[in-house]
Amino acid sequence: MGNMLEKLLFQTLIGLSFSMYLWLLAAGLTLVFGVLGVLNFAHGSLFMLGAYATFTFYGKIGLNFWLSIFLSLLCVGGIGLILECLFFRRIYHIDLPYQLILTFGFILIFDDLVKIVWGGVAMIPPMPRFFEGSLNILGRPFPYYNIFIIFAGIFVALLLWFVLEKTWWGRTIRASASDREMASAIGINIPILFTNVFVFAAMLAALGGALGTPVRVVAPGIGTSMIIQAFVITVIGGLGNLKGAFVGALIVGILTSYGILLFPIFELFIIFVVMAFVLLVKPEGLFGK
Amino acid sequence: MAKKITRRKFLRDTVIGGIVLGSGLGGYRITYGQTKKPAGPIKIGGQGAISGAHADYGWQMMAGATLAIEEINAKGGILKRKLELKFMDEELKPATAVKNARYLVTDWGADFLFGIDSSGSAMAVGPVLPELDRLCFFCHAATHRLTEELVAGKGIKQVFRMVAPVYQDALAAWVFKDSPEIKRWAGINCDYEYGYVAWNLFKENIKKFRPDVEFVAAAWAPFWTMDFSSHISAVMAEKPDAIFATPWAGEGVMLLRQALMLGVFEKIQAWWQCMGGSVDLLEGISREVAADKFKGKLWATARYIHNYPDTPENKAFVSAFRKRWGKFPNYSAEASYSTIYAIKAGAEKAKTLETSKVAEALEGMELKTPAGTRLIRKEDHQAIYTVPGGKVTHSPDYPIPVLGDLKIIPAKEYFRHPPFTPVAATK
Amino acid sequence: MKLKYFLLGALILFLFILPIFSGKYILYMTIHILLLSVFALGFNLLLGYTGLLSFGQAGFFAIGAYACAKILLVTPSLLLGTIVGVISGGVAALLLGYLCVRHTRIYFSMLTLSFGMMIYSLAWKWREVTGGDDGLVGIPRAPFKIPGILSINMNPMENYYYYVLVISLLSIYVLYRIVHSPFGLTLKGIRDSENRVAYAGISVRNYRLLSFTIAGLYAGLAGSFLPPLENTVTPPIAHWTHSAEPVMVTLLGGIHTFSGPMVGSIIFYIIKDIIVRYTQFWLVWFGAIIVFLVLLFRGGVVIFLTERIWPLFKR
Repeated sequence: MGNMLEKLLFQTLIGLSFSMYLWLLAAGLTLVFGVLGVLNFAHGSLFMLGAYATFTFYGKIGLNFWLSIFLSLLCVGGIGLILECLFFRRIYHIDLPYQLILTFGFILIFDDLVKIVWGGVAMIPPMPRFFEGSLNILGRPFPYYNIFIIFAGIFVALLLWFVLEKTWWGRTIRASASDREMASAIGINIPILFTNVFVFAAMLAALGGALGTPVRVVAPGIGTSMIIQAFVITVIGGLGNLKGAFVGALIVGILTSYGILLFPIFELFIIFVVMAFVLLVKPEGLFGK
Repeated sequence: MAKKITRRKFLRDTVIGGIVLGSGLGGYRITYGQTKKPAGPIKIGGQGAISGAHADYGWQMMAGATLAIEEINAKGGILKRKLELKFMDEELKPATAVKNARYLVTDWGADFLFGIDSSGSAMAVGPVLPELDRLCFFCHAATHRLTEELVAGKGIKQVFRMVAPVYQDALAAWVFKDSPEIKRWAGINCDYEYGYVAWNLFKENIKKFRPDVEFVAAAWAPFWTMDFSSHISAVMAEKPDAIFATPWAGEGVMLLRQALMLGVFEKIQAWWQCMGGSVDLLEGISREVAADKFKGKLWATARYIHNYPDTPENKAFVSAFRKRWGKFPNYSAEASYSTIYAIKAGAEKAKTLETSKVAEALEGMELKTPAGTRLIRKEDHQAIYTVPGGKVTHSPDYPIPVLGDLKIIPAKEYFRHPPFTPVAATK
Repeated sequence: MKLKYFLLGALILFLFILPIFSGKYILYMTIHILLLSVFALGFNLLLGYTGLLSFGQAGFFAIGAYACAKILLVTPSLLLGTIVGVISGGVAALLLGYLCVRHTRIYFSMLTLSFGMMIYSLAWKWREVTGGDDGLVGIPRAPFKIPGILSINMNPMENYYYYVLVISLLSIYVLYRIVHSPFGLTLKGIRDSENRVAYAGISVRNYRLLSFTIAGLYAGLAGSFLPPLENTVTPPIAHWTHSAEPVMVTLLGGIHTFSGPMVGSIIFYIIKDIIVRYTQFWLVWFGAIIVFLVLLFRGGVVIFLTERIWPLFKR
């Protein structure tokens, strides 16, 4: 029995590190939905672009790991800026199907564009040297990198909380998320705020992709396979709810990890059962008002 | 009144739809009508994975076939006709593979088909071949069912497999049968046909030599897994002595690197990476091999390795390939290269391109190929040749790691033979 | 008016004589176009007429396809396979629809997405029944049989083409009648103003459920066309990215016209086939076309043609 508990604990830690990539992706997704009202399928593509950019700066050009991450955040932020100003800005008022299908169109575009630019072959850059090695937990080695990812995820969560709750910018975001007209009436420049939020969300997604680069593969379609899990998380936590997204990411990440150990056949199935259950019983999400 | 208007609107819409359809298809007819010429070049249609994490395999296939076609065309072609190649992306999806096969034969006018990386795709394309009336030479798909069930069982004579099937993956049983210290085996396998068959075949064979071994854990990784840490930690919880792993290509590289991160090689005595002898995988882990991170515990085989056999044919092939493409040839390249020469041999012996006659000519034929002498077995159309297993090592003679310490077991010992007994293709 | 009947007749005649002058590949593509048309038309009953965006239609499509495949692997009767496929799709839609129609708008979309993905994960992982990731293979294109009356060999592509064509035309006609019946008008009423219909004493939820079930029947029918054509079914047909296909073609053709989804399907395949000839990167172009359409021609191609181009000829 003790053995089983140990197994589960270790599996939880592994799942926890996976949750953090999901969290970084879902955070931006839910933020954009909460403020801009658009459910962005192409958000996963920004995650993928973050990974490709980091791969290019770090793996190909050979820049410093941290500098590479910083540069890829800037690049993807720039792409987000272009996307918002040229395209997304025009769809806030239109019907849901058109919104969704426009963002779906961008998945197709980005998946093919990275194939054109980087080729279709999967790529794995080398691991940063200072992260090699592992810590002994429960008699088994647990990589430093996973520990770093867990702390990075928690750090971003705290940062987001601080920005949204304690800064003036955060208050304007919350104000416009709950009542757009009112926010506009008290002098908040809504278009600029929307652009900022979108770019910020794009950078969060890129950060998730960038942090995954050294240990995960960089290939076309990695965003598409992650986005659906991010959707599940966003729904579980409540559309537009950041705290919910964090908890949702933990649930999905850890459940996936348990699934591989305990019920491999239903690993994916279970996640969607949870999603449907939440939608039917508490559609506003676990942390909805 | 209202009804009448909507009906009119419907009709109007339909008519316009019809015009679009008509003009579209009319346009097709014009462009397509001219593609079929009776005595132009011999058309060879290939397909493999040229996108995604396994893209290098399709590329290698295309590269190997292109090299052979260039060589043959330079010497006058087959039956005095030049060869022409078209290569498509199979995407490792059975539906796409079938669609491609149909397109290549019925529209492009292919005389022969070859390629196909995924077992699932191969099992889907095989049954369509009689309808298409074309031979297809499989250059990578490994499931035993392709030749055992479709050819030997159902008599689909259009299927030929030029590459070593999943029997090769079970070579581990012969390599490790004399290691008494390895008793507890665990598997990290692909959650599809290839993974099940390789693992089951290995279990079946090693049990014959070593009734004392146990299979303590098995984790199943679906196609397109990026993060294997959950799988690794799930099997390591059972403290195995050795691990049998099937994920291939980029996924194999990820798996090995994540296993290193999780300290697996401190704890186990051997790791068998079935297709670890593949060039792309060796390239992916070359830094780690050079630093001896695997501690000499990583073993592998492949469906051909460029440093075996030591024959003039092989040396000529490897150097021609490196000269043409600047890379070492992988097994899918060797198999497709040999396929083109097999087509040549078959067509020249039959003196025609007719499907049934070329098939008959190839049955029982022995071909000298880079991988050694291939015998095309009559009963199941499987090419038989030996590929050794070995330890992944760093060698000063090569820029990338190679298999060293080779264990050479004759193919007829570890290949299965007709009549076939079924192997489970499930968990 | 007469001209239009004449052109409609000409179109149908054209489809019937197509095998005489076209190759196998054209027939194969036309079958795919018909299949997608049926799939998208059923979908548009939900979107265009009822105002519900389903992102899980691929699930019902897959249920139809797998059910048909299972039948064909056991009994070689094409008609039976189709019937079972249609019914399975419809029954699944009825059961899941009961839960789904509790929501509208984005919550409905998310709920259908989750059910669709559940079906996908079963198809993908339940290997004993569905063949797992490798799918079901070696499905025969069984003969069309009515015991004691006739048996037609379906192996030639032409015969199968006629089978799909006749059933598609029939089902399109039936859907056309449904849309223009009182039931169809009520659906439109629900779409435009849910409350007004509810005040009239009509159960909005039951109407939505019926509409959802019909869409499921059509998805099942489209799905059941696939296994005999491709001889294989695999899990990706249940994936959410496949659910996006009817959405795309319907928006492409236009959601407010009956023929929109059909025209969208035709354009989808023509664009794809033409672009693939020049570059393997057809999706980037297709994505760009979608973005362009959403931003500039939201009415869809049919409206664009009928309201902008057609009047030019009338003058």
